[in-house]
Amino acid sequence: MARLTVVAEERDRAGGDANLQVDGVTHLFETVDGPLMAVTDVSFTVEEGTFVGLVGPSGCGKSSLLQMMAGLLNPTEGRILIGADEIREPKPAEIGVVFQESSLLPWKTARENVEFPLYLRGVDRAQREKAALEMLDLVGLGEFAERRPHELSGGMKQRVAIARGFCQDPSILLMDEPFAALDEQTRMTLGDELLQIWDRHKKTVVFVTHSLTEAVYLCDKVLVMSARPGRILKEIVITLPRPRTYEMMATETFGRLRAEIWELIRGKDRP
Amino acid sequence: MSKRSQSNQTARAGGRKASFVGPYVLRLICLLAILSFWEVAPRMEWVSPVMLAPLSTTVVTGVSELALFGTNLAVTVGSLLLALVIAIGGGAVAGLLLGAVKVLRETLLPIMSSIYAVPLVVVYPVFTAWVGIGAESKVLFGGIYGFFPMLLATAAGIQTVDTRYMVAARSMGATRPQLILHILLPAALPSVISGVRIGAAMTAIGVVVAEMMAATAGIGFLITQNRTMFNTAEVYFGVFLVLVLAGAIDWAVRSLERRAGAWYPHKVKTL
Repeated sequence: MARLTVVAEERDRAGGDANLQVDGVTHLFETVDGPLMAVTDVSFTVEEGTFVGLVGPSGCGKSSLLQMMAGLLNPTEGRILIGADEIREPKPAEIGVVFQESSLLPWKTARENVEFPLYLRGVDRAQREKAALEMLDLVGLGEFAERRPHELSGGMKQRVAIARGFCQDPSILLMDEPFAALDEQTRMTLGDELLQIWDRHKKTVVFVTHSLTEAVYLCDKVLVMSARPGRILKEIVITLPRPRTYEMMATETFGRLRAEIWELIRGKDRP
Repeated sequence: MSKRSQSNQTARAGGRKASFVGPYVLRLICLLAILSFWEVAPRMEWVSPVMLAPLSTTVVTGVSELALFGTNLAVTVGSLLLALVIAIGGGAVAGLLLGAVKVLRETLLPIMSSIYAVPLVVVYPVFTAWVGIGAESKVLFGGIYGFFPMLLATAAGIQTVDTRYMVAARSMGATRPQLILHILLPAALPSVISGVRIGAAMTAIGVVVAEMMAATAGIGFLITQNRTMFNTAEVYFGVFLVLVLAGAIDWAVRSLERRAGAWYPHKVKTL
């Protein structure tokens, strides 16, 4: 598929090496009861082109971390870098976020939603329309381009949200529990579709999820976080080969990796 | 909603209605009953003709003095249009500011909603002392009357915009003006339109009441003048013109709602 040359050029100017590096990041929330530590001294690297999962118990600061990586929130301490560039504000050409389907703008059609990030940076109409339609075709929604979100099912809306992320065409895509609102069957299908798109577009993906199965199935590496204040407990490398298949879920390796993550989250000392 | 499913629903609803007396027919019957009562009651002396002039007398009198009523209606409509600029335009801008800027919202919004609860008619005598009893006073008074509900509805609409839309747009690199134009305003639109509905009605009330209390021209002025002279037919023709004016405003707001309704999953709900 033809890349958006405008975006590609922007990115080339930004510098080639696009590893995402989180370096000693701590974040304090100011609350009425005083400061609340959301994440503490988190460091990790996401290599360019890899698919990395972020899992941890509810409220462990996954979302804060993701917002900081997106430049929507600044760390109290530490830095977040892409190559040599520090992230202090959103950089849509370098980092994009795929939110849950509820973030689609209800007054815009699927196509208008998908081309919105391109519109914001002034890409001309014909070009952004073409890019949006190609992306909608890719997620199998070509014929629903002119529907508004409320006319689409949950799974279809999430596909639109994914298409929007890929249409923005950043080098790194952060996904904030994108499938959390979907049923398991839709979730599995979308996971496979996401891997196919990822394979074609070779982006770096950071995927926040609650689902351990999803994490093992999709990722090259899974970062396991502790309960609040969130720390990285361990980086688990998923040794399963690609392309991933359903059969792998039944393998001993898959079960062992999933159990390892669960034990880390649950805490070893508990029964 | 697609055209097809919309027409299907209409067809189904129409089919169900056909077996009963439809609401349109009922509405027409009610209207005819009121008009007949208007004609018959004073003629049969159920009501003194000094209190209520029969419909036919009212219309004949009105038509015979069409020039007088016409020029005064033009005065009222002109004042109303200017007052609407203050109420709707001013209310929208002020509401946007108060809704979006935290400091203004916290300091001024409670004051604004208190003022809205005051029957502003009580200050009209003072008002005329400041600006006289010419067109300026009723334009200003009507404008201020409609300004507050418009401001409050707009501010409420802006405040209740789903933050997920804002966060998503920011992550895509939306600038502040882009956020206002493409997220805040369209998301607040349903609330803004209900503000227009209430604001426009209040403005019309303000203008006519101002004319009735102290003015030199306008429909309200004619009503008061003729009432003091017991010209009952003229009074009722004036009232009739005010009703037509209110109907015209209602029609205008409804067509605005219809256009905006196409944007939204749920039809804009209003009073």
